[in-house]
Amino acid sequence: MKSQAATNTQSPSPHTEAQPHDRPVLSAQPTPLRPERRTLPRTWETPPAPVPAPHLDDYQTIVGTAELDELRFLARELKGKTMKMVNSTAVGGGVAEMLNRLVPLLGELEVTTHWDVITGGNDFFEVTKAFHNALHGSEYQLTRSAQEIFLAYNEQNRQRMQFREDMVVIHDPQPAALIGSRKDSPGRWVWRCHIDLSNPNPQVWEFLRPFIEQFDAAIFSSQSFARQLPIPQYLFYPCIDPLSEKNKDLDESFVQKVCDEFGVDRTRPIVTQVSRFDRLKDPVGVVQAFKLARKYVDCQLVLAGGGASDDPEGALVLKEVKEVAGDDPDIIILDLPPWCALEINALQRASTIVVQKSIKEGFGLTVTEALWKGKPTIAGAVGGIPNQIIHKLTGMLVHSVEGCAYQIRYLLTHPDFAAQLGRNGREHVKENFLMTTNVRRWLLLLRTLLRVGTPTGTPFS
Amino acid sequence: MTTTAQLPLSRTPVKPFYFNTSAHLLRITTQKANTLAELLDALRVCPDDSIFQHAFRTLQELHFIREGFSNDFAHWALTARNEPGLAEQLASVDVREFTSLGELRERFVQIVEKHLQLNPADGRRMAEETFYFCAADIVVMPTKFVAETLPDFAKGLREVSVHSIHHHFIEARLRIKLMSNDFSQWLYEDVGLTDIARALNRIDIYTVTLEDVRKQMLRIVERSLA
Repeated sequence: MKSQAATNTQSPSPHTEAQPHDRPVLSAQPTPLRPERRTLPRTWETPPAPVPAPHLDDYQTIVGTAELDELRFLARELKGKTMKMVNSTAVGGGVAEMLNRLVPLLGELEVTTHWDVITGGNDFFEVTKAFHNALHGSEYQLTRSAQEIFLAYNEQNRQRMQFREDMVVIHDPQPAALIGSRKDSPGRWVWRCHIDLSNPNPQVWEFLRPFIEQFDAAIFSSQSFARQLPIPQYLFYPCIDPLSEKNKDLDESFVQKVCDEFGVDRTRPIVTQVSRFDRLKDPVGVVQAFKLARKYVDCQLVLAGGGASDDPEGALVLKEVKEVAGDDPDIIILDLPPWCALEINALQRASTIVVQKSIKEGFGLTVTEALWKGKPTIAGAVGGIPNQIIHKLTGMLVHSVEGCAYQIRYLLTHPDFAAQLGRNGREHVKENFLMTTNVRRWLLLLRTLLRVGTPTGTPFS
Repeated sequence: MTTTAQLPLSRTPVKPFYFNTSAHLLRITTQKANTLAELLDALRVCPDDSIFQHAFRTLQELHFIREGFSNDFAHWALTARNEPGLAEQLASVDVREFTSLGELRERFVQIVEKHLQLNPADGRRMAEETFYFCAADIVVMPTKFVAETLPDFAKGLREVSVHSIHHHFIEARLRIKLMSNDFSQWLYEDVGLTDIARALNRIDIYTVTLEDVRKQMLRIVERSLA
């Protein structure tokens, strides 16, 4: 629940009044009476106080004692070893979110982990944002000035920072040139790349490559994101924290309250996509798929996202989505602030099906979140999504609006199959994409690179 | 297991059974395949760890799935290449019939070679998704469970992680180089329970989940204790 101090405010809703709409000819069911919808979604003006990070034992009911025992065993021989994580932001974004949970857990296992954030001016972050987009494949002309800005801020940070730890982990390209300190550092250096490098802008990649090749190892989030490099490359799937506000179990009464506030009718099937309003998430395609599917099955669509208030392109996409949705009262569009994790959690849990119809994707942690909640999930076969959704086993992969519409219809009319997908999906996350699995990977990597403990190898070696 | 007289259940095992488990760190190797010809080339030269990863580890990573999945090569043939015949052939490879990765690699190579002889055009056709060869580095760890009696053994079976079940029941044959597993070997050699050892070894790992395997093993062991 939100803190008592939080203030409720109201912001404009996409639909200020319900309009009668033409029921499709083939509609299976008449629309039942719906609860009155809030015309303005309830959001909070300021973020609530941060929730304290959980302890390792708090995960016991989720992953079991044996899993935690394994982590403690792996950590035992690493006792006293130290790590440093370096990234470019302390708040916001998936990397900071992950480090906020990972660092205390490693500390609890007596692997002291420091977390440093590089500093830079607006010019630096403009350059690194452009690099980020270029590495994702966008057109970009790398200028000498951009290179100089990148190198100057990296050098400034390098002079300021010390690297005495046994392992230094540099996250993403922004601080990559800190590798210049490797020669004066006793530890092993690892580059953790959270970006899809499968089709990078060649100029930017060739500029960064000489830095990356100086690391002892690189880590990617999917096999398909890796590059040909002369250093070992490891696969670390991104992860979710099952105890975070976005993923923890919720009281049914809270889920109902959130649905009531947003006018979501829980007596009818709910199809939900949670994503910022970004063309790469194809929210317009989701609306089109929903409209096609609803010719055959009764359902509502919830598009819950953010990014429209602080991103001009997001606002444009939101406008397009509203235009395509028209005055359809069964399409509920919510532009939520980033601190509405509990509400997003509730909407996912209330959903009959979750969709993530991305056209391009990093790993797609919203898919992981949906799978963890046991929801039958339909998602675009892009980026890291196929690592999570094994078609027809842990979810359904789609490649088009029509395919998405068909799978919505299929899952809504085959609830037993949908439920099995949901069960498999949750197990898949439990085995591969939880925070505890991430801790295990870091401990294994530390053991491997520092050559600590029992030698690693295959069972036949 | 050939001939050993069945010994009474009250007999103390010659030596205790130490439940271990293993953790895996995944490496992305340099091999990848977009066509069947490339898959064949990579199958011939990839490290043994990659064969292990894609044939044995699939059963662990997806231990909760009962149907439609046996190894990564078969899955790729079906989903990325739409070649159900080849997928069936690759899926029929039962890792329990191999005690060395060299033999297992050879079996996969033979299947792909034969398919390409019969369907030469398939060799150049691009797959919808690339097959990336990975490999696993493994750390073996002890657990707190040690069985000095059969009831201890049942308790261990009930409480260890599925990783431990995979380690002793599936990965084991590469280590002990026998068509058996650690549990059956202990029951046979150190407890003298030949029939129970055989019954455990007959459990089909491809049609059930690893939790189902655990339940079946427990049923067999507990029945013998009743």
